[in-house]
Amino acid sequence: MIYFDNAATSFPKPPVVSQAMAKFLAEDAANPGRAGHRMAVAAERMLDEVRLKLTRLFQGDDPHRMIFAMNCTDALNMAIKGVLGDAIAAARADTPHVITTVLEHNSVSRPLQAMADAKAIELTRIDCDDAGFIDPDDIRKAITPHTRLIVMTHSSNVLGTVQDAAAVGAIAREREVLFCLDTAQTAGIVPVSIPGMYIDLLAFPGHKSLLGPTGTGGLYVGERCGEPGRLRPWREGGTGGDSSSPTQPALYPYYLEGGTPNTVGIAGLGAGVDYVVANDMAATLAHEQAMVQHIIDRFSADDRFTVYGTPDAKRRVGTVSINIEGYEPSDVGSILDDSFNIAVRPGLHCAPYIHKRLGTFPSGAVRISPGVFNTEDELAQLCEALEQIAG
Amino acid sequence: MTTIQTTELDRYHRQMLLPGIGEEGQRKLMNAKVFVCGCGALGTVIANMLARAGVGHLVIADRDFIEMTNLQRQILFDESDVENALPKAEAARRKIAQINSQVKVTTFIDDVNHTNVEKMAADCDIILDGLDNFETRFLLNDVAVKHRIPYVYGGSVGTTGMTYAILPHSHPDDANETPWELAGAATPCLRCIFEQAPPPGMNPTCDTAGVLGPVVSIVANYQCVEAIKILTGNYSAVRPTLLSFDVWENTIRQLKVARAYDVGNCLCCKQRQFEFLEGKFASGTTTLCGRNAVQLTQKLAEGRKLDFDEIAQRLAAHGQVKANKFMLRADITDNGNAYELTLFTDGRAIVKGTKEANVAKSIYAKYVGA
Repeated sequence: MIYFDNAATSFPKPPVVSQAMAKFLAEDAANPGRAGHRMAVAAERMLDEVRLKLTRLFQGDDPHRMIFAMNCTDALNMAIKGVLGDAIAAARADTPHVITTVLEHNSVSRPLQAMADAKAIELTRIDCDDAGFIDPDDIRKAITPHTRLIVMTHSSNVLGTVQDAAAVGAIAREREVLFCLDTAQTAGIVPVSIPGMYIDLLAFPGHKSLLGPTGTGGLYVGERCGEPGRLRPWREGGTGGDSSSPTQPALYPYYLEGGTPNTVGIAGLGAGVDYVVANDMAATLAHEQAMVQHIIDRFSADDRFTVYGTPDAKRRVGTVSINIEGYEPSDVGSILDDSFNIAVRPGLHCAPYIHKRLGTFPSGAVRISPGVFNTEDELAQLCEALEQIAG
Repeated sequence: MTTIQTTELDRYHRQMLLPGIGEEGQRKLMNAKVFVCGCGALGTVIANMLARAGVGHLVIADRDFIEMTNLQRQILFDESDVENALPKAEAARRKIAQINSQVKVTTFIDDVNHTNVEKMAADCDIILDGLDNFETRFLLNDVAVKHRIPYVYGGSVGTTGMTYAILPHSHPDDANETPWELAGAATPCLRCIFEQAPPPGMNPTCDTAGVLGPVVSIVANYQCVEAIKILTGNYSAVRPTLLSFDVWENTIRQLKVARAYDVGNCLCCKQRQFEFLEGKFASGTTTLCGRNAVQLTQKLAEGRKLDFDEIAQRLAAHGQVKANKFMLRADITDNGNAYELTLFTDGRAIVKGTKEANVAKSIYAKYVGA
């Protein structure tokens, strides 16, 4: 199988990832706990090591604020419901205002829309330009005295367009609004800096460009979110310590980490992070951008194809969406799989608002997302297959 | 076993006169639980006959709703059922309540698949096949062999019919022999005879090739005859051959199949690999986001491909068909609803015009065949 669906989950993983998981599962896979037996302590130590690696990768300063999550959706729910949880619980005179964008994945759009439908928040959705970029100034103009949170994706999962997160973060900081950045498409491939981008809540998945297994992800909770108690925990339960406390212990990361974490997966994620750091992220990004540029250059001028978003691949991560005249995207996806053994992702990509903006709703588009391990030969086979289908 | 009052037996007088049945046989029927899998042309005839014969408990499973084109042959249904858009299983239950109130009916308005079939067939004394697709028949065969439940296969399309009674062989590990084995009447299972289900699109279906009403009734009545023999313990009277006939060509054939068990090394009844029950070949369904369409993944055996030319020919009568080497697209109007069926060479399909997995499966079974 030729795999061009890395924006969903990266594949293959470097062998060190499965090796680390197998080793941990065979040797140390006890329930982590700070005050337990030696295996429990070893498991806890592994978690702490990976927390530290991730914190350093994103230039955070306190690994205790690096919270493990099941995936980026889990992390975003933790952030959004953590900040706005009190608004859901009680009807307030000053309904909090939240700003988001048309580029968002359903992991952001759905929790926010559900709160807006329940009249717990007021929601503003900022439009993008035709190339797929948000103007930070539009966000500035949307801020009101009631604005409490800005939630934005760092890169559209449909277009791959990388947003000016630092500019939006600076505006949020200046106006004393919390800034939550969804780095589902960028963590592990585009430099993400918690202080440099003024990020208050950084959500990321483990299974995409960080090359970890599915079932891993995290949320970094910045200092402006305050001490435990300011955020509402969206999962409560056992924390492997402070069991005498009748509610969640007021201590990060445990405050937000109820339940046994995915230790085996996190061991793999740690190996993935090591691999990413050792292998020159800038070179990996350039490799993926070159593949996307090739697709844009080859098909943009061809009437049988529509290529969405900016023609400049340097403003994207390794993601591009296209359509072929006369075909439903799902047909193209099925033909590539069935006749050419190539994996891509057709449909709406869980991002209905940007597809509405592009005029591709409800059928969507065919998303091609190369990864670190795709070769020139695979790209050539993909392009040839698309040519044959277009006929 | 429930106690049966003598007065309850009166209505079966003519049936009890038969030496093979008598009062004892009638009581066995009245204590029997029968799984009628599929309630279309075959299933309605079977349910009707067995309810009249006094079978105590009928379990009826069918995912479909009644359509006008069903009435030509599906004898439990009428025009008011079409108007009320009733599920077939529910309409059958209501009709049977009027025919014989002594019969208990349990209904499953659902697709029969590897996740639910054992629940449906639980504690049944026999399984009767009223199906329209081979995948599910092989599933029933797995259930029959695994749980040692007799299974009477029946099928009909065009002017042809086929039926065969499976009295499964026990496994050497089984503690005891079944009554039909003690009577020397065990028969090969369906997979002893047909190792694999035919690939989708390779066989005509009633919806593409048509079907003559009486021929289905003939098949179903043959199935009922074997069911009554089995339920009354007349195992040695069960026809051991695979019967096939064409009522238009006036041909009748009986295929001797007993050796298929002896000489073969059947995956199912000898090796106890219940591949269909384990879901190895199960078709999966996914609702495609935003599209009012369902994708079906049909697992063809390795290396098999659909023959678009043949399928295109068969579907041509139903609407526009377009095909290239990658896909076939057909417009189909079924019961007044418009669907767009897209097939790919590996057997997968996209049915546009519904978000219901069961509707998509039904369209696939009717027009492609599975």
